[in-house]
Amino acid sequence: MEEKTKRAIRKAVLLAFFIIVIGLLIYSRVTAKPTKETFKDKLSAFGLWESPLLYVAIPALYLADYFSHAWICLLFAFSVAGLIYEFVPKETITRYMGRGKAVGYGLALCMAPFLTVCSCTMVPLFGGILYAGAGIGPAITFLLMAPAANILTILMTGEMISWEVAGARIIASAVVALAAGLIVSVTPWGKAVEKEFQVADSAAGSSAKVEIVKPPLDERLWAALKFAGYLAKQILPFFIIGLMVVGYISAFIPEEIVESYLTGPTGILIASVLGGPLYTPTLVEIALGQELWNKGMSKGALLSWLMGQPYDFANAMAVSRIAKWKIVATYFIVAWAGSVTFGFLYGMLSGSL
Amino acid sequence: MKEVKVEVIGTEPPCMRCQATRKAVEKAAEKLKQAGVMVNIEKANIMSKEIVQKYGVLVSPAIAINNTVKIMGRVPNSEEVEKLIMEAAK
Repeated sequence: MEEKTKRAIRKAVLLAFFIIVIGLLIYSRVTAKPTKETFKDKLSAFGLWESPLLYVAIPALYLADYFSHAWICLLFAFSVAGLIYEFVPKETITRYMGRGKAVGYGLALCMAPFLTVCSCTMVPLFGGILYAGAGIGPAITFLLMAPAANILTILMTGEMISWEVAGARIIASAVVALAAGLIVSVTPWGKAVEKEFQVADSAAGSSAKVEIVKPPLDERLWAALKFAGYLAKQILPFFIIGLMVVGYISAFIPEEIVESYLTGPTGILIASVLGGPLYTPTLVEIALGQELWNKGMSKGALLSWLMGQPYDFANAMAVSRIAKWKIVATYFIVAWAGSVTFGFLYGMLSGSL
Repeated sequence: MKEVKVEVIGTEPPCMRCQATRKAVEKAAEKLKQAGVMVNIEKANIMSKEIVQKYGVLVSPAIAINNTVKIMGRVPNSEEVEKLIMEAAK
């Protein structure tokens, strides 16, 4: 009996926490007032531009300014990512992952956003899909889709930049990821790797089984919260360092430069090249994109910039350990071409090239 | 004395969550030793052909008890692992 009450209390407290976080986000949206004052106005107000303290003040004020706007959104994004990761039926997904090509592609596209908020699960899943019979195509699709459109990224893009851009990012990423998977799977080197890694009759005939045990709701909620905390611990330190750099960029790069280099066709090309290999820690690309957009970058270039995430070097390094460099090069090129193409398309459609 | 095989399936090199899972299993094994259950902990690589062939695609970290995957994609606490091993030992 006592155990039961304890569980009920824990369940209630945890549920209340998640409801409050969701409520906070809704409340902040309803009451949101556009604030004109930026951290640069504060720098001026305190007369810091001429002060020797300027180089300390920029990151400090930028961080304060950013978190005062974004803390609810960050809290929400991490909590929801934790909840979804915990409650998404992982075993159902993984069971079907090995069942042929079409299912593989479909699952890779739909499930990558929910399963993989941390690189720790991403590369093993890539390997698993490759071995288990879905082949190299779905594995590549999954790999490109996961960082491009995971739940954290999409929530932050939507809330901090705009939901229109977030939508464009999802659609463009899905098309590019699918194209890259299909293209790699027909190349000779793609086929070679697939042959090398395929295991005959996966999981069939052996005594091994998968019978996932489901813990009670209060423990699952607690696990969701713990996973959210784990994610925050992994991502936030790099995010904060990245934001400091963004602060300097925001303070010192004049709008004329952004307007002349990050608009039009050249703007898209430059954004796509910078957005890719230039490694930006998770979520920093969103903050930097937002800042450059405020300074006059076109929407087309913004999308190209955001789409650069999946083909950065850190990601490629992890994959090249399993796949051959030719495969990495192939999907690099497809992803880059895709980010340029969709940059143009979105730029033209939204009238902001 | 009963014997139970527990595979801790994770990434190689082990990620933080896989290490935490292993610790939980080790702690449970230590306790169960006194209760007369011998726990053989094996570390398995989630990316190896053998594991994929045996269990299919998994999400790391995972725990398999006597060749049955019971937990995947989350870090359990040691009490939970203890309970699962006890069930398997019966």
